[in-house]
Amino acid sequence: MCKEPVIVCDLKKGWLILLVSAVFISATGYSQHQGYRPVGDLGAFERQFAAESSKIASIESTFTQEKVLTALTEKITSTGKFWFKRSNKVRIEYLKPYTYTMIMNGDKMLFRDDQKENMVNVRSNKLFQQINQIMIDCVQGTVLESKDFNVKVFEDEKTYLLEMDPTTRSLREFFSTIVLKVDKKDFAANSIEMNERSGDRTTILFKDKKLNAQFSDAVFAF
Amino acid sequence: MRCLLFELIIAICLIGCASEYAHLQKAPNDKDCPDRLLPLVIETSWYDASVDVMGKHISGLLLVKNMPDSSKRVVFTSEAGLTFFDFSFTKDGRFSVVSVIKQFDRKAVIQTLEKDFSLMLGLPFLNRGGERYTTGDDVYFAFKEKNGTAYFITNKDCASLQRLEWGDNGKRLVTVRTPGSVFPTPATIEVDHHTFKMSIKLTRIQKE
Repeated sequence: MCKEPVIVCDLKKGWLILLVSAVFISATGYSQHQGYRPVGDLGAFERQFAAESSKIASIESTFTQEKVLTALTEKITSTGKFWFKRSNKVRIEYLKPYTYTMIMNGDKMLFRDDQKENMVNVRSNKLFQQINQIMIDCVQGTVLESKDFNVKVFEDEKTYLLEMDPTTRSLREFFSTIVLKVDKKDFAANSIEMNERSGDRTTILFKDKKLNAQFSDAVFAF
Repeated sequence: MRCLLFELIIAICLIGCASEYAHLQKAPNDKDCPDRLLPLVIETSWYDASVDVMGKHISGLLLVKNMPDSSKRVVFTSEAGLTFFDFSFTKDGRFSVVSVIKQFDRKAVIQTLEKDFSLMLGLPFLNRGGERYTTGDDVYFAFKEKNGTAYFITNKDCASLQRLEWGDNGKRLVTVRTPGSVFPTPATIEVDHHTFKMSIKLTRIQKE
């Protein structure tokens, strides 16, 4: 029986639930990837992944994002457009049911909503720098080189699954794991799943991918 | 001349320091009006949220969720999906933090948001019996709480809710409006602070 003020008890209870969920999630991490088996020759995979993904100079696609609040049994689905150009340009534009744009171009990130736009220099903010780098690493196939994650690799017939465990404290505060699924056909990202410590998760599913499509750099202009 | 200046200063001070609720006139209680409009309920909804605090701007998605046990949850996430905070209000209005990221985990921030959301969710008005005041075309129902007075303000004939306010020591602190829409499905909710620069604008998302 908690003898402290109610809010302290509730907070402790909340943290206990989080702790139990975190332990449960790590303990069941392997079995979560049903139908996948560990990749046998990791070295060969790394070499092939680096070689094949380096052939992707640009991506233009649509996406569907699903945010699931597990404990509240709520989810919200949004759709939009995605552009990537090697080596460090990304534009994510949410179109429905709300509008929001994120542009990463070199050291700068722009966030634009209905009301305002904010420009951030990622060099001055380590967290933004890391989030920027996650997205770039996931789509350009350099995630295996990242020091921010320990990566385990699994496969099924059509896809590779990269389970990324954050190693830095700042990323661990937000994510328990990030799961990237890569198409074996062209080594482009099929989906990115961000799992939060609370059990909530956000999955971005890329569709209608056009690899190495020609489009103007103006897409990434601020 | 010096005397006139002194009187002017006194007059400005009196206007400036006057209670913003001093013009309210006590009126006989009317149980029917609050019974007609209360309790305020917001149906479970997602809102596109825009928050401006002292020149800083942050946007995201705000979920207001009515739970099966009659408690309410208010969850704020980024558009890209990251959960910033998850607050809970029990059915009798007791507040707790379910989760909050480090960047929002400041006592003053949490207390401010708790008061804002509690007013928005109509929690101070759960205990009926507010005192009735009138002024011009507005009717105020004042509900005294530990940390201020919550006002439920209707038009003269109690046909509609005009706005909600937090006041303390005669000062207006926070106003909640739902311009052009009504509970339980307000399309827009605006929360404005009057003692420092902070505003929250929520626009209801029509899920596909």
